[in-house]
Amino acid sequence: MKHFLRMFVQVCLYFYCKCLWRCLKFVVRKLTGRCELQRICYNTKPGAARTMKIEASLKGSKSKRLQTSVSVHPDAIEKTIDDIMELKRINPDINPQLGVSLQACLLQIVGYRNLVAEVEKLRREPYDSENPQHEEMLLKLWKCLKPNSPLKARISKQWCEIGFQGDDPKTDFRGMGLLGLYNLVYFAEWDTGIAQQVLSDSLQPKYSQFNKAEWEKKKFDKAIGYSFAIVGINITDLAYNLLVSGALKTHFYNVAPEAPTLTHFQQTFCYLMHEFHKFWIEEDPLDIMEFNRVREKFHKRILKQLQNPEMALCPHFAASESLINM
Amino acid sequence: MGLLSILRKLKSTPDQEVRILLLGLDNAGKTTLLKQLASEDISHITPTQGFNIKSVQSQGFKLNVWDIGGQRKIRPYWRNYFENTDILIYVIDSADRKRFEETGQELAELLDEEKLSGVPVLIFANKQDLLTAAPASEIAEGLNLHTIRDRVWQIQSCSALSGEGVQIKDASPARLCSPEGKDDGEAKFSKGTAGSVASSPCSSSEGLVWGLVSSSACRGIFHPSRRFDGEVSSLALGER
Repeated sequence: MKHFLRMFVQVCLYFYCKCLWRCLKFVVRKLTGRCELQRICYNTKPGAARTMKIEASLKGSKSKRLQTSVSVHPDAIEKTIDDIMELKRINPDINPQLGVSLQACLLQIVGYRNLVAEVEKLRREPYDSENPQHEEMLLKLWKCLKPNSPLKARISKQWCEIGFQGDDPKTDFRGMGLLGLYNLVYFAEWDTGIAQQVLSDSLQPKYSQFNKAEWEKKKFDKAIGYSFAIVGINITDLAYNLLVSGALKTHFYNVAPEAPTLTHFQQTFCYLMHEFHKFWIEEDPLDIMEFNRVREKFHKRILKQLQNPEMALCPHFAASESLINM
Repeated sequence: MGLLSILRKLKSTPDQEVRILLLGLDNAGKTTLLKQLASEDISHITPTQGFNIKSVQSQGFKLNVWDIGGQRKIRPYWRNYFENTDILIYVIDSADRKRFEETGQELAELLDEEKLSGVPVLIFANKQDLLTAAPASEIAEGLNLHTIRDRVWQIQSCSALSGEGVQIKDASPARLCSPEGKDDGEAKFSKGTAGSVASSPCSSSEGLVWGLVSSSACRGIFHPSRRFDGEVSSLALGER
Protein backbone atom coordinates (compact mmCIF):
# COMPACT_ATOMS: atom_id res chain seq x y z
CA MET A 1 0.00 0.00 0.00
CA LYS A 2 2.77 2.35 1.02
CA HIS A 3 4.58 1.49 -2.17
CA PHE A 4 1.47 2.12 -4.23
CA LEU A 5 0.93 5.51 -2.61
CA ARG A 6 4.48 6.54 -3.28
CA MET A 7 4.13 5.59 -6.89
CA PHE A 8 0.83 7.40 -7.15
CA VAL A 9 2.41 10.56 -5.77
CA GLN A 10 5.26 10.23 -8.25
CA VAL A 11 2.87 9.87 -11.16
CA CYS A 12 0.89 12.91 -10.02
CA LEU A 13 4.09 14.87 -9.60
CA TYR A 14 5.15 13.92 -13.10
CA PHE A 15 1.95 15.15 -14.67
CA TYR A 16 1.98 18.26 -12.53
CA CYS A 17 5.49 19.12 -13.67
CA LYS A 18 4.63 18.38 -17.27
CA CYS A 19 1.59 20.63 -17.01
CA LEU A 20 3.63 23.35 -15.34
CA TRP A 21 6.26 23.10 -18.07
CA ARG A 22 3.66 23.44 -20.79
CA CYS A 23 2.12 26.48 -19.08
CA LEU A 24 5.54 28.03 -18.70
CA LYS A 25 6.29 27.44 -22.38
CA PHE A 26 2.93 28.94 -23.31
CA VAL A 27 3.57 32.08 -21.22
CA VAL A 28 7.09 32.54 -22.57
CA ARG A 29 5.82 32.05 -26.08
CA LYS A 30 3.18 34.75 -25.57
CA LEU A 31 5.70 37.10 -23.99
CA THR A 32 8.50 36.74 -26.54
CA GLY A 33 6.37 35.90 -29.53
CA ARG A 34 8.73 33.02 -30.33
CA CYS A 35 8.22 29.27 -30.07
CA GLU A 36 10.67 26.99 -28.26
CA LEU A 37 12.53 26.00 -31.42
CA GLN A 38 13.07 29.66 -32.28
CA ARG A 39 14.24 30.49 -28.79
CA ILE A 40 16.77 27.65 -28.87
CA CYS A 41 18.13 28.71 -32.24
CA TYR A 42 18.45 32.36 -31.20
CA ASN A 43 19.89 31.77 -27.75
CA THR A 44 22.19 28.81 -28.22
CA LYS A 45 25.44 28.63 -30.14
CA PRO A 46 25.45 26.22 -33.08
CA GLY A 47 26.93 22.81 -32.36
CA ALA A 48 26.11 20.07 -29.91
CA ALA A 49 24.47 22.36 -27.36
CA ARG A 50 21.93 23.62 -29.89
CA THR A 51 21.32 20.37 -31.74
CA MET A 52 20.78 18.42 -28.53
CA LYS A 53 18.28 20.97 -27.24
CA ILE A 54 16.42 20.94 -30.55
CA GLU A 55 16.39 17.14 -30.46
CA ALA A 56 14.97 17.08 -26.94
CA SER A 57 12.39 19.72 -27.84
CA LEU A 58 11.23 17.83 -30.94
CA LYS A 59 11.06 14.50 -29.14
CA GLY A 60 9.13 15.98 -26.23
CA SER A 61 6.70 17.86 -28.45
CA LYS A 62 3.02 17.09 -28.20
CA SER A 63 2.68 17.20 -31.96
CA LYS A 64 3.12 13.87 -33.74
CA ARG A 65 4.63 15.59 -36.75
CA LEU A 66 7.40 17.10 -34.66
CA GLN A 67 8.03 13.88 -32.77
CA THR A 68 8.50 11.88 -35.96
CA SER A 69 10.65 14.55 -37.60
CA VAL A 70 13.77 13.19 -35.87
CA SER A 71 13.48 9.93 -37.79
CA VAL A 72 12.64 11.09 -41.30
CA HIS A 73 14.65 10.14 -44.35
CA PRO A 74 17.48 12.65 -45.05
CA ASP A 75 15.89 13.56 -48.39
CA ALA A 76 12.65 14.55 -46.68
CA ILE A 77 14.25 17.04 -44.32
CA GLU A 78 13.44 20.16 -46.34
CA LYS A 79 9.83 19.17 -46.55
CA THR A 80 9.80 18.49 -42.82
CA ILE A 81 11.23 21.93 -42.07
CA ASP A 82 8.47 23.51 -44.15
CA ASP A 83 5.90 21.51 -42.22
CA ILE A 84 7.34 22.56 -38.88
CA MET A 85 7.40 26.22 -39.91
CA GLU A 86 3.80 25.98 -41.01
CA LEU A 87 2.72 24.13 -37.90
CA LYS A 88 4.41 26.68 -35.67
CA ARG A 89 3.07 29.53 -37.81
CA ILE A 90 6.52 30.98 -38.43
CA ASN A 91 6.87 33.20 -41.47
CA PRO A 92 10.01 32.02 -43.34
CA ASP A 93 10.41 35.45 -44.97
CA ILE A 94 10.73 37.20 -41.63
CA ASN A 95 12.88 34.43 -40.09
CA PRO A 96 15.08 33.17 -42.93
CA GLN A 97 17.83 32.10 -40.58
CA LEU A 98 15.61 29.77 -38.58
CA GLY A 99 14.90 27.36 -41.41
CA VAL A 100 18.61 27.04 -42.18
CA SER A 101 19.52 26.49 -38.55
CA LEU A 102 16.77 23.93 -38.04
CA GLN A 103 17.78 22.11 -41.17
CA ALA A 104 21.39 21.86 -40.02
CA CYS A 105 20.26 20.46 -36.67
CA LEU A 106 17.87 17.98 -38.22
CA LEU A 107 20.51 16.78 -40.66
CA GLN A 108 22.77 15.97 -37.72
CA ILE A 109 20.02 14.31 -35.70
CA VAL A 110 18.86 12.14 -38.58
CA GLY A 111 22.44 11.47 -39.62
CA TYR A 112 23.35 10.20 -36.17
CA ARG A 113 20.43 7.80 -36.18
CA ASN A 114 21.39 6.50 -39.58
CA LEU A 115 24.99 6.12 -38.50
CA VAL A 116 23.90 3.98 -35.55
CA ALA A 117 21.99 1.75 -37.97
CA GLU A 118 24.93 1.54 -40.38
CA VAL A 119 27.41 0.68 -37.64
CA GLU A 120 25.04 -1.89 -36.18
CA LYS A 121 24.71 -3.55 -39.58
CA LEU A 122 28.48 -3.82 -39.93
CA ARG A 123 28.81 -5.17 -36.41
CA ARG A 124 26.23 -7.84 -37.09
CA GLU A 125 27.99 -9.09 -40.18
CA PRO A 126 30.35 -11.81 -38.99
CA TYR A 127 33.80 -12.15 -40.48
CA ASP A 128 33.62 -14.79 -43.18
CA SER A 129 36.86 -16.34 -44.40
CA GLU A 130 35.07 -17.57 -47.52
CA ASN A 131 34.34 -14.02 -48.56
CA PRO A 132 37.19 -12.68 -50.75
CA GLN A 133 36.41 -9.07 -49.78
CA HIS A 134 36.81 -9.83 -46.10
CA GLU A 135 40.01 -11.72 -46.74
CA GLU A 136 41.38 -8.88 -48.82
CA MET A 137 40.76 -6.41 -46.01
CA LEU A 138 42.46 -8.66 -43.51
CA LEU A 139 45.54 -8.94 -45.70
CA LYS A 140 45.49 -5.18 -46.21
CA LEU A 141 45.62 -4.74 -42.45
CA TRP A 142 48.77 -6.80 -42.38
CA LYS A 143 50.36 -4.87 -45.24
CA CYS A 144 49.67 -1.51 -43.65
CA LEU A 145 50.99 -2.50 -40.26
CA LYS A 146 53.91 -4.61 -41.40
CA PRO A 147 54.94 -3.27 -44.81
CA ASN A 148 58.44 -4.72 -44.52
CA SER A 149 57.65 -8.26 -43.52
CA PRO A 150 55.36 -10.16 -45.86
CA LEU A 151 52.89 -12.65 -44.48
CA LYS A 152 54.19 -16.15 -45.19
CA ALA A 153 50.82 -17.89 -45.18
CA ARG A 154 47.22 -16.97 -44.61
CA ILE A 155 47.17 -19.16 -41.53
CA SER A 156 50.31 -18.34 -39.64
CA LYS A 157 51.65 -17.62 -36.20
CA GLN A 158 52.71 -14.24 -37.61
CA TRP A 159 49.24 -12.87 -36.89
CA CYS A 160 50.23 -12.81 -33.23
CA GLU A 161 52.82 -10.18 -34.09
CA ILE A 162 50.07 -7.65 -34.70
CA GLY A 163 48.15 -8.81 -31.67
CA PHE A 164 45.70 -11.45 -32.79
CA GLN A 165 45.26 -14.40 -30.46
CA GLY A 166 46.18 -17.31 -32.66
CA ASP A 167 47.20 -18.28 -36.17
CA ASP A 168 43.88 -17.33 -37.78
CA PRO A 169 42.33 -13.96 -36.92
CA LYS A 170 38.87 -14.96 -38.17
CA THR A 171 37.75 -16.12 -34.73
CA ASP A 172 38.88 -12.95 -33.00
CA PHE A 173 36.31 -10.53 -34.38
CA ARG A 174 33.45 -12.20 -32.48
CA GLY A 175 30.66 -9.86 -31.46
CA MET A 176 32.16 -6.88 -33.27
CA GLY A 177 32.07 -8.61 -36.65
CA LEU A 178 33.25 -6.62 -39.64
CA LEU A 179 33.13 -3.39 -37.67
CA GLY A 180 36.26 -4.43 -35.79
CA LEU A 181 38.11 -5.16 -39.02
CA TYR A 182 36.92 -1.94 -40.71
CA ASN A 183 38.12 0.13 -37.78
CA LEU A 184 41.51 -1.53 -37.59
CA VAL A 185 42.06 -1.22 -41.33
CA TYR A 186 41.04 2.44 -41.28
CA PHE A 187 43.43 3.14 -38.42
CA ALA A 188 46.30 1.34 -40.17
CA GLU A 189 45.58 2.89 -43.54
CA TRP A 190 44.86 6.54 -42.70
CA ASP A 191 46.77 7.00 -39.48
CA THR A 192 49.59 4.64 -40.46
CA GLY A 193 52.36 6.39 -38.55
CA ILE A 194 50.51 6.42 -35.26
CA ALA A 195 49.13 2.92 -35.76
CA GLN A 196 52.59 1.49 -36.34
CA GLN A 197 53.94 3.41 -33.38
CA VAL A 198 51.16 2.16 -31.10
CA LEU A 199 51.72 -1.38 -32.36
CA SER A 200 55.42 -1.32 -31.69
CA ASP A 201 54.91 0.25 -28.24
CA SER A 202 52.24 -2.28 -27.39
CA LEU A 203 54.69 -5.10 -27.96
CA GLN A 204 57.04 -3.94 -25.24
CA PRO A 205 55.97 -0.73 -23.57
CA LYS A 206 57.89 -1.36 -20.41
CA TYR A 207 61.05 -2.84 -21.74
CA SER A 208 62.99 0.36 -21.23
CA GLN A 209 62.25 0.32 -17.52
CA PHE A 210 63.99 -2.97 -16.91
CA ASN A 211 67.55 -3.94 -17.41
CA LYS A 212 68.00 -7.15 -19.29
CA ALA A 213 68.56 -9.41 -16.29
CA GLU A 214 65.49 -8.14 -14.53
CA TRP A 215 63.49 -8.51 -17.69
CA GLU A 216 64.48 -12.13 -18.03
CA LYS A 217 63.89 -12.84 -14.39
CA LYS A 218 60.35 -11.57 -14.65
CA LYS A 219 59.70 -13.85 -17.62
CA PHE A 220 56.96 -11.48 -18.61
CA ASP A 221 58.63 -10.65 -21.89
CA LYS A 222 55.67 -11.69 -23.95
CA ALA A 223 52.80 -10.65 -21.80
CA ILE A 224 53.75 -7.29 -20.47
CA GLY A 225 52.37 -5.29 -23.34
CA TYR A 226 48.93 -5.69 -24.81
CA SER A 227 47.69 -7.32 -27.99
CA PHE A 228 47.21 -4.55 -30.53
CA ALA A 229 44.48 -6.13 -32.66
CA ILE A 230 42.56 -7.57 -29.72
CA VAL A 231 42.67 -4.24 -27.94
CA GLY A 232 41.51 -2.64 -31.19
CA ILE A 233 38.49 -4.93 -31.17
CA ASN A 234 37.83 -4.08 -27.53
CA ILE A 235 38.14 -0.35 -28.25
CA THR A 236 35.72 -0.87 -31.14
CA ASP A 237 33.31 -2.20 -28.55
CA LEU A 238 33.91 0.89 -26.46
CA ALA A 239 33.33 3.24 -29.40
CA TYR A 240 30.23 1.26 -30.36
CA ASN A 241 28.84 1.58 -26.84
CA LEU A 242 29.52 5.31 -26.79
CA LEU A 243 27.71 5.65 -30.11
CA VAL A 244 24.68 3.55 -29.26
CA SER A 245 24.22 5.09 -25.82
CA GLY A 246 24.14 8.52 -27.47
CA ALA A 247 27.22 9.74 -25.59
CA LEU A 248 28.99 10.49 -28.87
CA LYS A 249 26.29 12.98 -29.87
CA THR A 250 28.21 15.85 -28.29
CA HIS A 251 31.27 14.97 -30.30
CA PHE A 252 29.56 14.33 -33.63
CA TYR A 253 27.25 17.34 -33.43
CA ASN A 254 30.33 19.47 -32.86
CA VAL A 255 32.55 18.04 -35.56
CA ALA A 256 30.13 17.03 -38.30
CA PRO A 257 28.38 20.13 -39.61
CA GLU A 258 26.16 17.95 -41.74
CA ALA A 259 25.34 14.32 -41.08
CA PRO A 260 27.96 12.28 -39.20
CA THR A 261 29.18 9.40 -41.35
CA LEU A 262 31.02 6.12 -40.93
CA THR A 263 34.26 7.98 -41.60
CA HIS A 264 33.60 10.19 -38.60
CA PHE A 265 33.07 7.08 -36.51
CA GLN A 266 36.30 5.53 -37.73
CA GLN A 267 38.22 8.72 -37.05
CA THR A 268 36.80 8.67 -33.56
CA PHE A 269 38.05 5.11 -33.24
CA CYS A 270 41.56 6.20 -34.27
CA TYR A 271 41.45 8.95 -31.69
CA LEU A 272 40.27 6.52 -28.99
CA MET A 273 43.01 4.02 -29.86
CA HIS A 274 45.67 6.66 -29.59
CA GLU A 275 44.23 8.10 -26.39
CA PHE A 276 43.84 4.67 -24.86
CA HIS A 277 47.44 3.92 -25.61
CA LYS A 278 48.59 7.08 -23.89
CA PHE A 279 46.26 6.34 -20.99
CA TRP A 280 47.63 2.81 -20.68
CA ILE A 281 51.20 4.11 -20.42
CA GLU A 282 50.09 6.80 -17.97
CA GLU A 283 48.30 4.25 -15.80
CA ASP A 284 51.39 2.07 -15.85
CA PRO A 285 49.59 -1.20 -15.12
CA LEU A 286 51.56 -4.11 -13.74
CA ASP A 287 50.50 -6.46 -16.50
CA ILE A 288 47.85 -7.25 -19.08
CA MET A 289 45.50 -8.67 -16.43
CA GLU A 290 44.66 -5.09 -15.50
CA PHE A 291 43.28 -4.40 -18.94
CA ASN A 292 39.60 -4.35 -18.02
CA ARG A 293 40.22 -2.08 -15.04
CA VAL A 294 42.13 0.40 -17.19
CA ARG A 295 39.56 0.13 -19.96
CA GLU A 296 36.74 0.88 -17.52
CA LYS A 297 38.57 3.89 -16.15
CA PHE A 298 39.25 5.14 -19.66
CA HIS A 299 35.59 4.67 -20.59
CA LYS A 300 34.52 6.76 -17.60
CA ARG A 301 36.99 9.47 -18.47
CA ILE A 302 35.74 9.73 -22.04
CA LEU A 303 32.12 9.73 -20.85
CA LYS A 304 32.92 12.57 -18.50
CA GLN A 305 34.59 14.54 -21.27
CA LEU A 306 31.57 14.02 -23.49
CA GLN A 307 29.25 15.53 -20.92
CA ASN A 308 30.70 18.91 -21.77
CA PRO A 309 28.62 20.17 -24.74
CA GLU A 310 31.66 21.96 -26.16
CA MET A 311 33.58 18.71 -26.36
CA ALA A 312 35.01 17.41 -29.62
CA LEU A 313 37.14 14.30 -29.29
CA CYS A 314 39.27 14.83 -32.36
CA PRO A 315 40.12 18.49 -32.69
CA HIS A 316 42.23 17.96 -35.78
CA PHE A 317 39.23 17.53 -38.00
CA ALA A 318 36.81 19.90 -36.30
CA ALA A 319 34.28 21.52 -38.58
CA SER A 320 35.26 24.68 -40.32
CA GLU A 321 34.00 27.94 -38.83
CA SER A 322 31.86 28.97 -41.76
CA LEU A 323 29.80 25.80 -41.66
CA ILE A 324 29.34 25.89 -37.92
CA ASN A 325 27.96 29.42 -38.14
CA MET A 326 25.05 28.28 -40.22
CA MET B 1 38.13 -33.82 -0.31
CA GLY B 2 35.56 -34.14 -2.96
CA LEU B 3 32.32 -32.79 -4.13
CA LEU B 4 30.31 -34.24 -1.29
CA SER B 5 32.44 -32.67 1.36
CA ILE B 6 32.32 -29.33 -0.39
CA LEU B 7 28.62 -29.63 -0.54
CA ARG B 8 28.39 -30.34 3.16
CA LYS B 9 30.55 -27.36 3.85
CA LEU B 10 28.33 -25.23 1.69
CA LYS B 11 25.13 -26.56 3.11
CA SER B 12 26.09 -25.98 6.69
CA THR B 13 26.70 -22.33 6.00
CA PRO B 14 24.09 -20.90 3.66
CA ASP B 15 24.90 -17.71 1.75
CA GLN B 16 28.36 -19.06 1.32
CA GLU B 17 30.36 -17.65 -1.51
CA VAL B 18 31.59 -20.09 -4.12
CA ARG B 19 34.63 -19.22 -6.19
CA ILE B 20 34.44 -20.65 -9.67
CA LEU B 21 37.36 -20.47 -12.06
CA LEU B 22 36.61 -20.54 -15.78
CA LEU B 23 39.51 -21.61 -17.97
CA GLY B 24 40.11 -22.92 -21.47
CA LEU B 25 41.79 -22.01 -24.75
CA ASP B 26 41.00 -18.78 -26.55
CA ASN B 27 37.74 -18.86 -28.50
CA ALA B 28 36.43 -21.74 -26.37
CA GLY B 29 33.47 -19.66 -25.22
CA LYS B 30 34.37 -18.77 -21.64
CA THR B 31 33.10 -15.22 -21.71
CA THR B 32 29.89 -16.23 -23.47
CA LEU B 33 29.39 -18.86 -20.79
CA LEU B 34 30.03 -16.28 -18.09
CA LYS B 35 27.49 -13.90 -19.59
CA GLN B 36 24.98 -16.72 -19.94
CA LEU B 37 25.40 -17.60 -16.29
CA ALA B 38 24.74 -13.98 -15.40
CA SER B 39 21.82 -13.82 -17.87
CA GLU B 40 23.44 -10.99 -19.79
CA ASP B 41 23.43 -10.12 -23.47
CA ILE B 42 25.91 -12.28 -25.37
CA SER B 43 25.90 -10.54 -28.74
CA HIS B 44 28.70 -8.08 -28.04
CA ILE B 45 31.45 -10.39 -26.82
CA THR B 46 35.02 -9.38 -27.57
CA PRO B 47 38.20 -11.41 -26.99
CA THR B 48 39.18 -11.15 -23.34
CA GLN B 49 42.28 -9.20 -22.51
CA GLY B 50 43.01 -9.97 -18.90
CA PHE B 51 39.96 -11.31 -17.10
CA ASN B 52 36.29 -10.76 -16.34
CA ILE B 53 34.53 -11.41 -13.09
CA LYS B 54 30.84 -11.69 -12.31
CA SER B 55 28.93 -12.49 -9.19
CA VAL B 56 25.79 -14.50 -9.68
CA GLN B 57 23.26 -15.11 -6.95
CA SER B 58 21.68 -18.50 -7.16
CA GLN B 59 19.69 -20.51 -4.68
CA GLY B 60 21.23 -18.84 -1.69
CA PHE B 61 24.73 -19.18 -3.05
CA LYS B 62 26.85 -16.34 -4.27
CA LEU B 63 28.87 -17.58 -7.18
CA ASN B 64 31.94 -15.52 -7.96
CA VAL B 65 32.89 -16.56 -11.44
CA TRP B 66 36.34 -15.64 -12.73
CA ASP B 67 36.79 -15.81 -16.48
CA ILE B 68 40.45 -15.57 -17.47
CA GLY B 69 41.54 -14.94 -21.04
CA GLY B 70 42.70 -18.05 -22.89
CA GLN B 71 45.15 -16.50 -25.31
CA ARG B 72 48.52 -18.25 -25.15
CA LYS B 73 50.17 -15.06 -23.92
CA ILE B 74 47.83 -14.87 -20.96
CA ARG B 75 47.93 -18.52 -19.92
CA PRO B 76 51.00 -18.03 -17.67
CA TYR B 77 48.80 -15.77 -15.55
CA TRP B 78 46.20 -18.47 -14.89
CA ARG B 79 48.13 -19.64 -11.84
CA ASN B 80 47.58 -16.30 -10.12
CA TYR B 81 43.91 -17.16 -9.83
CA PHE B 82 44.13 -20.73 -8.51
CA GLU B 83 44.01 -19.93 -4.83
CA ASN B 84 40.78 -20.77 -2.97
CA THR B 85 39.05 -22.06 -6.06
CA ASP B 86 36.01 -24.17 -5.17
CA ILE B 87 35.15 -25.40 -8.63
CA LEU B 88 37.14 -25.37 -11.85
CA ILE B 89 35.19 -25.12 -15.07
CA TYR B 90 37.20 -26.01 -18.14
CA VAL B 91 35.65 -25.01 -21.44
CA ILE B 92 36.45 -26.78 -24.70
CA ASP B 93 35.46 -25.76 -28.22
CA SER B 94 34.12 -29.12 -29.39
CA ALA B 95 34.35 -28.08 -33.02
CA ASP B 96 38.01 -27.05 -32.89
CA ARG B 97 39.40 -30.55 -33.41
CA LYS B 98 42.78 -29.25 -34.49
CA ARG B 99 43.44 -28.00 -31.00
CA PHE B 100 42.10 -30.94 -28.97
CA GLU B 101 45.66 -31.92 -28.22
CA GLU B 102 46.58 -28.44 -27.06
CA THR B 103 43.50 -28.14 -24.87
CA GLY B 104 44.20 -31.59 -23.44
CA GLN B 105 47.71 -30.58 -22.51
CA GLU B 106 46.54 -27.41 -20.81
CA LEU B 107 43.94 -29.36 -18.85
CA ALA B 108 46.47 -31.98 -17.82
CA GLU B 109 48.78 -29.24 -16.58
CA LEU B 110 45.96 -27.68 -14.61
CA LEU B 111 45.10 -30.99 -12.98
CA ASP B 112 48.72 -31.37 -11.94
CA GLU B 113 48.75 -28.01 -10.21
CA GLU B 114 49.21 -28.31 -6.50
CA LYS B 115 46.97 -25.39 -5.73
CA LEU B 116 44.13 -27.02 -7.64
CA SER B 117 44.53 -30.47 -6.18
CA GLY B 118 41.23 -32.02 -5.27
CA VAL B 119 39.25 -29.17 -6.77
CA PRO B 120 36.22 -30.58 -8.60
CA VAL B 121 36.39 -30.01 -12.33
CA LEU B 122 33.47 -29.56 -14.64
CA ILE B 123 34.34 -29.77 -18.32
CA PHE B 124 32.02 -28.09 -20.76
CA ALA B 125 32.07 -29.58 -24.25
CA ASN B 126 30.91 -26.30 -25.71
CA LYS B 127 29.56 -25.32 -29.15
CA GLN B 128 27.36 -28.36 -29.53
CA ASP B 129 25.16 -26.18 -31.72
CA LEU B 130 27.78 -26.55 -34.49
CA LEU B 131 27.40 -29.48 -36.83
CA THR B 132 31.09 -30.27 -36.67
CA ALA B 133 31.17 -30.47 -32.88
CA ALA B 134 32.59 -33.62 -31.40
CA PRO B 135 30.29 -35.34 -28.88
CA ALA B 136 31.25 -35.13 -25.24
CA SER B 137 31.92 -38.87 -25.11
CA GLU B 138 34.57 -38.57 -27.80
CA ILE B 139 36.22 -35.66 -26.00
CA ALA B 140 36.14 -37.51 -22.69
CA GLU B 141 37.90 -40.40 -24.30
CA GLY B 142 40.41 -38.24 -26.11
CA LEU B 143 41.30 -36.45 -22.90
CA ASN B 144 41.54 -39.70 -20.94
CA LEU B 145 39.21 -38.28 -18.37
CA HIS B 146 38.60 -41.71 -16.91
CA THR B 147 42.11 -41.69 -15.54
CA ILE B 148 41.26 -38.84 -13.19
CA ARG B 149 41.16 -40.38 -9.72
CA ASP B 150 41.99 -37.58 -7.38
CA ARG B 151 38.94 -35.41 -7.75
CA VAL B 152 35.32 -35.24 -8.69
CA TRP B 153 34.79 -34.50 -12.34
CA GLN B 154 32.09 -34.30 -14.93
CA ILE B 155 31.93 -33.56 -18.62
CA GLN B 156 28.90 -31.81 -19.96
CA SER B 157 27.70 -30.99 -23.47
CA CYS B 158 26.52 -27.46 -23.84
CA SER B 159 26.04 -24.55 -26.15
CA ALA B 160 26.90 -21.28 -24.46
CA LEU B 161 25.46 -19.51 -27.48
CA SER B 162 21.96 -20.95 -27.11
CA GLY B 163 22.23 -21.39 -23.38
CA GLU B 164 21.51 -25.08 -23.70
CA GLY B 165 23.11 -26.91 -20.83
CA VAL B 166 24.30 -23.76 -19.11
CA GLN B 167 21.73 -21.72 -17.25
CA ILE B 168 21.48 -21.88 -13.51
CA LYS B 169 18.41 -19.74 -13.24
CA ASP B 170 15.87 -22.48 -13.77
CA ALA B 171 17.74 -25.16 -11.95
CA SER B 172 15.41 -27.43 -10.14
CA PRO B 173 17.21 -29.95 -7.99
CA ALA B 174 14.01 -31.85 -7.56
CA ARG B 175 13.90 -32.66 -11.19
CA LEU B 176 17.60 -33.28 -11.37
CA CYS B 177 17.17 -36.05 -8.93
CA SER B 178 13.79 -37.27 -9.95
CA PRO B 179 13.86 -40.93 -10.79
CA GLU B 180 11.49 -40.69 -13.80
CA GLY B 181 14.01 -39.30 -16.18
CA LYS B 182 16.74 -41.53 -14.99
CA ASP B 183 16.38 -44.37 -17.41
CA ASP B 184 17.04 -42.05 -20.23
CA GLY B 185 19.97 -40.52 -18.45
CA GLU B 186 21.48 -43.78 -17.42
CA ALA B 187 21.35 -45.14 -20.89
CA LYS B 188 23.61 -42.31 -21.84
CA PHE B 189 26.19 -43.12 -19.26
CA SER B 190 29.42 -44.40 -20.48
CA LYS B 191 29.79 -47.07 -17.93
CA GLY B 192 33.44 -47.61 -18.51
CA THR B 193 34.61 -44.06 -17.94
CA ALA B 194 35.99 -44.73 -14.53
CA GLY B 195 35.97 -47.39 -11.96
CA SER B 196 34.09 -45.09 -9.72
CA VAL B 197 31.35 -43.70 -11.87
CA ALA B 198 28.38 -43.17 -9.71
CA SER B 199 25.42 -45.01 -11.09
CA SER B 200 23.17 -42.18 -10.07
CA PRO B 201 25.05 -38.97 -10.50
CA CYS B 202 22.51 -36.82 -8.83
CA SER B 203 21.47 -38.01 -5.46
CA SER B 204 19.67 -35.12 -3.90
CA SER B 205 22.74 -33.54 -2.41
CA GLU B 206 25.10 -33.97 -5.32
CA GLY B 207 22.46 -32.76 -7.69
CA LEU B 208 22.44 -29.46 -5.96
CA VAL B 209 26.12 -28.89 -6.36
CA TRP B 210 26.30 -29.58 -10.04
CA GLY B 211 22.89 -28.03 -10.20
CA LEU B 212 24.47 -24.85 -8.99
CA VAL B 213 26.94 -24.89 -11.75
CA SER B 214 25.39 -26.77 -14.54
CA SER B 215 21.77 -27.13 -13.55
CA SER B 216 19.93 -27.53 -16.78
CA ALA B 217 23.05 -29.21 -18.01
CA CYS B 218 22.01 -32.10 -15.87
CA ARG B 219 18.48 -31.51 -16.89
CA GLY B 220 19.62 -32.08 -20.42
CA ILE B 221 20.43 -35.60 -19.39
CA PHE B 222 17.38 -36.27 -17.37
CA HIS B 223 14.90 -34.52 -19.48
CA PRO B 224 14.56 -36.37 -22.75
CA SER B 225 13.29 -33.35 -24.67
CA ARG B 226 16.41 -31.30 -24.06
CA ARG B 227 19.36 -33.48 -24.74
CA PHE B 228 22.27 -33.56 -27.06
CA ASP B 229 23.21 -36.86 -28.52
CA GLY B 230 26.16 -38.65 -27.13
CA GLU B 231 26.10 -36.99 -23.80
CA VAL B 232 28.39 -38.27 -21.13
CA SER B 233 27.83 -37.50 -17.56
CA SER B 234 29.86 -39.15 -14.97
CA LEU B 235 30.40 -38.25 -11.44
CA ALA B 236 33.54 -39.89 -10.41
CA LEU B 237 34.09 -39.86 -6.73
CA GLY B 238 37.77 -40.34 -6.40
CA GLU B 239 37.97 -41.13 -2.75
CA ARG B 240 35.01 -43.14 -1.87
